[in-house]
Amino acid sequence: MAYKTFNRDSFNVLEQPMFFGRNVNVSRYDQQKYPIFESLIEKQLSFFWRPEEVDLSTDRSDFADLPEHEKHIFISNLKYQTLLDSIQGRSPNMAFLPIVSLPELETWIETWAFSETIHSRSYTHIIRNTMPNPTEVFDSITQNDEIVERAASVTEHYDALIYEIEIFHTLGLGTHTIKGETVEISMRSLKKKLYLTMVSVNVLEAVRFYVSFACSFAFAERAKMEGNAKIIKLIARDEALHLTGTQHILQHMAAGRDDPEMGEIAKECQGDVVRIFMQAARQEKQWAKYLFKDGSMIGLNQDILAQYVEYITDLRLKAIGFDEVFGATSNPLPWMDAWLVSDNVQVAPQESEISSYLVGAIDSELDDDDFGDFDL
Amino acid sequence: MPKPRSKKINPNQMDFFLDGLADNTPDFELTPDPNILINYDEIEEQNEFLFFLEDAETKKDEIQLDLNSFEKPVHYIQIEGTDRNIKFQQANNVLESLEAKGVHISYQCREGYCGSCRTDLLEGEVAYLTQPLAWINEGEILPCVCVPRTNIKVKV
Repeated sequence: MAYKTFNRDSFNVLEQPMFFGRNVNVSRYDQQKYPIFESLIEKQLSFFWRPEEVDLSTDRSDFADLPEHEKHIFISNLKYQTLLDSIQGRSPNMAFLPIVSLPELETWIETWAFSETIHSRSYTHIIRNTMPNPTEVFDSITQNDEIVERAASVTEHYDALIYEIEIFHTLGLGTHTIKGETVEISMRSLKKKLYLTMVSVNVLEAVRFYVSFACSFAFAERAKMEGNAKIIKLIARDEALHLTGTQHILQHMAAGRDDPEMGEIAKECQGDVVRIFMQAARQEKQWAKYLFKDGSMIGLNQDILAQYVEYITDLRLKAIGFDEVFGATSNPLPWMDAWLVSDNVQVAPQESEISSYLVGAIDSELDDDDFGDFDL
Repeated sequence: MPKPRSKKINPNQMDFFLDGLADNTPDFELTPDPNILINYDEIEEQNEFLFFLEDAETKKDEIQLDLNSFEKPVHYIQIEGTDRNIKFQQANNVLESLEAKGVHISYQCREGYCGSCRTDLLEGEVAYLTQPLAWINEGEILPCVCVPRTNIKVKV
């Protein structure tokens, strides 16, 4: 069943499931099965921003002044964010576009992946403007064992799905021998891989990203690297929308009204879902250990970040209708809300130092009396 | 006047005291003056900003139109596990009303698309002023974009 760029059959698109129905033909939005995806597109477009709008000149001197162990935390965190958005900028297109069957969902996936490419460009903007050696930073991403190991688990579900879809499109369903290996492609296994991939994407956006945001904002809490925090704030606003998108897809899948077989698979895979979340939580805690290996920073250390991992994992599991696993009831980083809140995002350069302006708002008035006890 | 929020800060978590650097400050080294003795237990609330929360329930003066004859209905928000009964009348949404009374709920977007403030609704009904984009499970509400329609009971 080869992919058709423009499916010439006539059919009622409203009767199609989200994925693995007929290939989309006319991109029409006059009738929609799930209008929520168009609302998400509109919202995402209204968020449009460019990294160049954010001034990073103070960040450069801030970064130079950071102690070595904090430089390690900052760079490693940024490298990890770069990795995550490199994946998200291409994989939703690669994995989901060939199998999507609803025009509004197809367009949402494209809009979603596009905004991730803005995030990737932001990291270059940040690294280029704050660090003396941008090339070295990028080159070292694929050489860092900690990051490479995490890349593997972030992408394994994507890659397994993309592999099967490629065979499905070339050879169709059935048992095939490829380079001496027997591969069985069934609709059930394709759908299961899709469901698990969607879960792992939700974990990536809703858990892993938020842990990295916590590190970025911890610097800004101390009035350091505030331009960076401003960019991360814009990224967090986009990610909040993306994770809502995946939550909708997952909930529609689990409900089974969209595709009864998908509903069965979701029931069958409940254990796998919890396992994927738990595995990510474990890795994030491991990552926290690596970040703080040379020392903690004021306001954030390995333990607090691990507690935040548990809190955010519980929150996201509950959002897709699962029970909490850690029983973490309160947010160990209460200041995160103030940084995440997106109704006051300002990107004008004069606004980017607003919080340091507040911190520096001490009485700086001098008069002659102040020199009273000086002797020459 | 609402009472200022105040909390006790652990001296170990401060960068500076008003009379010098805090302990374990990595960037600096100061030799302590042996003549000065500090009893840390007696130090409280130094170097802290005090924020005054605007009470969302205080009626704002409407410049354009004063509809005194149309009093807004009053509903109460009860918090499970406590005996608190919070009056809802003037606030724009449940989240604001709760915050004004010092009840903290995690939030991010405050306009219904991120789902961070999802809260369990145990009793009563709410109405949404705009259709929220975030997914809402059965029995949950998004306090940032809803108002109570009846007296409600929530789990925070």
